Amino acid sequence: MKVFKKYLKVWLKLTALAFSIDLSNRFTAIFAITGKVIRFLFFLGFLFLLVGRTETLAGYDLYQVVFFFLTFNLIDILIQFFLRGVYYFRGLIVSGDFDLVLVKPINPLFRSLFQRTDAYDFLTFIALIVYMIIFIATGNLVITPLGVILYLVLIISSFILGLAFHIGFLAFGILTTEIENIVWIYRDLSSMGRIPIDVYREPLRTFLTVVVPVAVIVTFPAKALMGLLSWQWVVFSLVMSGLFLFVSLRFWKYALTQYSSASS
Amino acid sequence: MKRLFENCLRARIMRKYLQVIRITFQEYFVYRLNFIFWRLRAFIQLLVLYFLWLAVIPQGTTIFGYDQAKILTYILGTSIIRSFILSSRSVDVAGEVSSGVLSNFLLKPINYLGRWLAKDIPDKILNLFFSIIGVSLILIFLRPPIIIQNNPLIIFLTIITIILGMILFFYLSFSLSLSAFWTPENVWPPRFLAMIIIEFLAGSLFPLDILPAGVFKTLKLLPFTYLLFFPLNVYLGKLTLQEIFIGIFISLFWILVFWQLAKALFRLGVKSYVAWGR
Repeated sequence: MKVFKKYLKVWLKLTALAFSIDLSNRFTAIFAITGKVIRFLFFLGFLFLLVGRTETLAGYDLYQVVFFFLTFNLIDILIQFFLRGVYYFRGLIVSGDFDLVLVKPINPLFRSLFQRTDAYDFLTFIALIVYMIIFIATGNLVITPLGVILYLVLIISSFILGLAFHIGFLAFGILTTEIENIVWIYRDLSSMGRIPIDVYREPLRTFLTVVVPVAVIVTFPAKALMGLLSWQWVVFSLVMSGLFLFVSLRFWKYALTQYSSASS
Repeated sequence: MKRLFENCLRARIMRKYLQVIRITFQEYFVYRLNFIFWRLRAFIQLLVLYFLWLAVIPQGTTIFGYDQAKILTYILGTSIIRSFILSSRSVDVAGEVSSGVLSNFLLKPINYLGRWLAKDIPDKILNLFFSIIGVSLILIFLRPPIIIQNNPLIIFLTIITIILGMILFFYLSFSLSLSAFWTPENVWPPRFLAMIIIEFLAGSLFPLDILPAGVFKTLKLLPFTYLLFFPLNVYLGKLTLQEIFIGIFISLFWILVFWQLAKALFRLGVKSYVAWGR
């Protein structure tokens, strides 16, 4: 408990600093937030236009398709909000400043993952939650209490999977000093979950379920809420999260042994 | 004698820009992995759209006036032309201005705008090459039905509209980068926002004519339509000759506007330029 309190205190401090940096420049903040909101609205409008005309997409109706998209955004924003620090990690490695992280009495993985919280994503997160509540309240989705519980459990599971990927990126960054591109490829792959994964053909669908489990991260929680996911897939999702986290932590430990402290 | 001198001068100027092209090529081969990752990302984005439209319009159905062959040709075609129309090294102009590197080029006997135009050539060649590989992989492995245009006049007009699209985007992108003269610490946010709007309104996600008629009519007056949607529509043979020439005229109008805007902004920017840290 004492350790948890210590890390929570550090995270709050880092978050406060990140917010003051991000919001100190109103010009950047306005453009960045407007850009994110417009990108969201454009794709949402596109889905309404498209599925409004075709009535279904891969067997899902308009409300279901939109809910998949909203869930994708929820998970994406959550991951970006907490783990934005990964984008700054390369700077620490190539400058040798990672030495300073290693000598501090705090877990270097924690520091590297959570070194920067994204203030812009916090604001878009609030807006998204409000929209989701209105959408669910006014839409025709059939939701049960069990569905809601499973949805929340699988959102946490998805976050853990996303976390595992980001730990892997950090380890990859130590070994190769290349990190930004691989993060963007992950984000492009996960953007395939903006629409139900059932749209894709085999073997791509299996690839997106098992190898780069975009389906598990994005599609499964939405399916669980709508009562379309069997318990076997719920278990599969939890096992995948645990497995990926375990492997990524081992990879991180291995990468640390290879760190050569560049430029210092 | 005078003519010979002029020819020599012209050849020397050309040599300068050829050298810029050569150096830019070499720069790309220094950061090979970076470039491969960039192209891989474009391929993934293409796959998303390809499968989405494949699911939306099954074989034998027509939605929004598009059958499967037409829409897949549009999506694959957009992917190819987007790779060289919406790619421009002029994005780096902002960095040169805000870091003060611009000073080096202001002192050199080279036209700054021309230099960036030259830098775009290798960028577009490489992007085109890798984009064709990406689309070829889809054609080989997924065998989608696509439309092959065989009318030489239509092909010629498509090429013309693509060239106009490239020039238009160059001046548009260059003008955007010049905002760095006035906000050197904030070069990415205006571009981030502008690119989201440009890509969407250019038709990179879907053909613009599926939008409500009033919206589409308005979009036809804006420059973005002439970057991707218009050339692809010319290729698909959906436009009459009259519509094509009107489109070309509107493209030329916007090129003129952004060309003059880029020149005016550069002139004004250089006057307020202070070359921080140099």
